[in-house]
Amino acid sequence: MTFPLWSLSADRHELGLVVAVAIGFGFGFVLERAGFGRAQKLAAQFYGYDMTVFKVMFSSIVTAMLGTVILSGLGVLDYRALIDHAASETFLWPMIAGGFALGVGFIVSGYCPGTSYVAAASGKLDGMVTVAGVVAGQLAYAGLEHQPWLARLHTSGAMGHFYLWELLHLPPKVGPAVVAIAVTAMAVGCFIGAEKLEALLAKGHPPAPASPAGRQGRLVFAGMGALALVGIAMAALPTGTAAAGARNPAGIDAAELARRVLDAPWSVRVLDLRAMADCAARRVPGAQCVPREQLGTLRLGDETGAVDLVLVSDGDVTELPRDVAAYPGRVAALAGGWKAWEAYALTPPVAPAPGALPAELETYRLRAGLASALTGMKAAPPPPAPTAAPGGPGKKGGGGGCGG
Amino acid sequence: MERNPDKFWNPYVAGVALGLVLLASFVVMGNGLGASGASLRFGVAALGAVAPGAVEASPALARAAAQGHPLDFWLVFEIAGVLLGGFVAAYTSGRLKLETLKGPTFRTGARIGMALLGGLIMGAAARATRGCTSGQALSGGALLSVGSWAFMFSVFGGGYALAYFTRRQWR
Repeated sequence: MTFPLWSLSADRHELGLVVAVAIGFGFGFVLERAGFGRAQKLAAQFYGYDMTVFKVMFSSIVTAMLGTVILSGLGVLDYRALIDHAASETFLWPMIAGGFALGVGFIVSGYCPGTSYVAAASGKLDGMVTVAGVVAGQLAYAGLEHQPWLARLHTSGAMGHFYLWELLHLPPKVGPAVVAIAVTAMAVGCFIGAEKLEALLAKGHPPAPASPAGRQGRLVFAGMGALALVGIAMAALPTGTAAAGARNPAGIDAAELARRVLDAPWSVRVLDLRAMADCAARRVPGAQCVPREQLGTLRLGDETGAVDLVLVSDGDVTELPRDVAAYPGRVAALAGGWKAWEAYALTPPVAPAPGALPAELETYRLRAGLASALTGMKAAPPPPAPTAAPGGPGKKGGGGGCGG
Repeated sequence: MERNPDKFWNPYVAGVALGLVLLASFVVMGNGLGASGASLRFGVAALGAVAPGAVEASPALARAAAQGHPLDFWLVFEIAGVLLGGFVAAYTSGRLKLETLKGPTFRTGARIGMALLGGLIMGAAARATRGCTSGQALSGGALLSVGSWAFMFSVFGGGYALAYFTRRQWR
């Protein structure tokens, strides 16, 4: 699986930023040519006589959606890694309430945050003022979001990474393709409806429909339909999206695994594939010891896939064992294997310098707590009896075994 | 190249072009497009220059300033590209002009006030929603995120709900 290329990764920072400028150029150029640098054209969406905003937005969503689904079906795009990285987690209530407020701001200013930059670049004073307003609004909210009264709303309705096919209880192997086809069909239906509505409302105004589909538009509809058919073919083929998409497990680093194991142990099931003796000696808290040859006995293919599976091995897991590939839910492998866990979780971190930033302190606190909790257990066996009371040192690691 | 300020691309062709830019962004960067995240960085950089204490006082602002310079962030560079692309497109289409866009009967000062107010509302809202119409609706929508789709319908709902009261701006 070649894509995404992760051009923003730290080892090629400058090149990544140049790519960002190039992609931004395309973004700004297309927005301007679509007419999104003009407040009247954007606002017209909300009065019905010019549905350009709707048409442009949905045809771009359909294009990018079909593109990602088809590329992952061809086995060249790691779809799960992309969506979990590029899409934000769902916080339902602030997203609904904030979305409504953003719509209000949109019709009051005539722009959305992105298009206000385009308007500003084309010399529109109202666009420049909107840019300034967005900056101030972001600062004001970000400055207050830790206050208890706002934090409660800000984090309400937290559902983690949550996708439409999960909402519809579709299996993750074909879910994205099925939803993509449904969204495409719905979008094309809405486009035709929008054309009819514009034609109807334009009867009273002289200059006919503002942004008719025309020949080019009909070509686009046909293209979307054809690509959706490709998507159907892929979803139907057993070797399509499913098999190709699952062969390479997504990576999870030790820090993220530690966070998951401590904060939300119910959401993750850790399988330790190392030899039984190694695993029995030391393992990630809650991990199940399952040497590779015993994986078949777990019958992972029959699970619901509700929790995420994390594989811990001696090194990186480059290819998923067949029994694990049958698992319907998310599968990730600990990047760097057990050694990475040892280095992160079982080695006490270096204390940050005085005056360190809150984020650094937070990381240190987590790591220090983790290291002392886990290595403390290892150091415990020698005599001192009083601290050993809560539970035998050897048994503790298996506490999460009930997950299995 | 013809320069007609009132001629735009066919909306569906523009949509497909925008979708391809977004797809390229997914495939190359592993990220979608965005805008409001860059606005925060601009704000933190400006606030840090005049009142560094205010940045330190808020965890969210301090986090934005934590990893090096607040402007050393991919969205800031993406927006630099947006400004450049918007400028070139406006120049080559004859739409590059210093002006205030509004209906012919609406006062310029009032229009500027509305633009500022709308911007403030959107800035705060986009923070609550973890992204604006670019990052959340467009990028998250294409990735089929539930929150993004809820957000998208909400934006249209908010716009339609208030459109009647702001109609004089465009007359």
